[in-house]
Amino acid sequence: MAHHERVITLCYRKIITSSSARPWEKLVFEDTYAEFRLQAQFYNPERRHRTFGELLHHAPGAEQLHFLVSAAARGYVQQLQGLVPDVVNNLGKHFLKFSQFQFEIINSDLQDPARHQVAISFYAEPLTWLDTIGSYLLVADQAAPAGGEVLTHLFQIQPYLSIHALHPPR
Amino acid sequence: MERKNFLKSLFVGAISAPAVLAACSKEEADAVTPATSGTSGTTGGTTGSSSCAVAPTETEGPFPTKVPASYLRSDITDGRTGYKLTAKITITNSNNSCAALAGALVDIWHCDAQGNYSEYGGTGMQSTNYQSVHFLRGRQVTDANGQVTFTSIFPGWYSGRATHIHVHVYSATGTSLKVTQIAFPEGSGSAVAAVNGYSKGMSGYTSNATDNVFSDGVSLELATVTGSTAAGFELSITFAVPA
Repeated sequence: MAHHERVITLCYRKIITSSSARPWEKLVFEDTYAEFRLQAQFYNPERRHRTFGELLHHAPGAEQLHFLVSAAARGYVQQLQGLVPDVVNNLGKHFLKFSQFQFEIINSDLQDPARHQVAISFYAEPLTWLDTIGSYLLVADQAAPAGGEVLTHLFQIQPYLSIHALHPPR
Repeated sequence: MERKNFLKSLFVGAISAPAVLAACSKEEADAVTPATSGTSGTTGGTTGSSSCAVAPTETEGPFPTKVPASYLRSDITDGRTGYKLTAKITITNSNNSCAALAGALVDIWHCDAQGNYSEYGGTGMQSTNYQSVHFLRGRQVTDANGQVTFTSIFPGWYSGRATHIHVHVYSATGTSLKVTQIAFPEGSGSAVAAVNGYSKGMSGYTSNATDNVFSDGVSLELATVTGSTAAGFELSITFAVPA
């Protein structure tokens, strides 16, 4: 096992669109759209632009909208209580802890909420990657106690879940 | 899914394997597809519709509740250190004999003692800790007197600009009414002189007269600022906006 034991950071990028159906997703969708419509006016005083893409292309500083609109999502991210949503281990339980996230606007349209799409990337706390079993990764929390048994999670890489970083061996 | 490998790899848990395989076999032909469809709602689980990962099987919750944008607060300090500043901003309606405008949204933002704004770092869009990122930014709704009050720190300064606070006023329905900035009195006896640029000093400071935003005259943007570094400062200003 030890030959490929390493420490990794997983990233899960959750896409939220007008067809996202769950309550948390709908709240994030609605509130980030409302915030986008508020804040976009700062970069669009003559109301010449309609989409986020146009603003990015034409309005200096409009890339700050990712950050500015993220304030509408932050309260909802806090409601997740530090657990990455959607991703479960092979026991069907959420297990990925996070404290870092990044919000981005993918597309939006000041006149058409259906074209509003955002993503939240959750950066998980570092995990020790102990082994690979078929398409499953066997990982343990990095702060595993010395000696005694090491509690592990078995999970599968899935769409929008990726290994974001490898950490140098300790 | 390569079933042979999968079976081989699961020899330690052979008893549970059939159930897992049954769950997988339905969808194993699916390609990787964006998790943007509504299917996640029906499974109540992973957004990756193509994966064979088991669906969440946990007690429902935590339940999401509606929360306002994290801007909506009167104390915008967020742990930034500096001399306390209480800012009272009054909004009046220039289309209504400058009567107090109630229910308007007032957004403010300013830099910290070192002259930095809260923002994503550079163009790299670093990830941020979800506990606190929007320091020195806040939003309040004006009361019946058209007034909002923020608690913050006295802004520092950065190259090229006089001390200032950004203000964006929206109508109750979110329409932009005014984007402006608050200017500070300067010179001997002023709060700007008392704060003295924090650890930076005032060498290289841009005065209101040479500031490219305020140099055309600050009479309508200049706040009244009283107080001291020991007791904190109080700022007040009135903006008339066309509502």
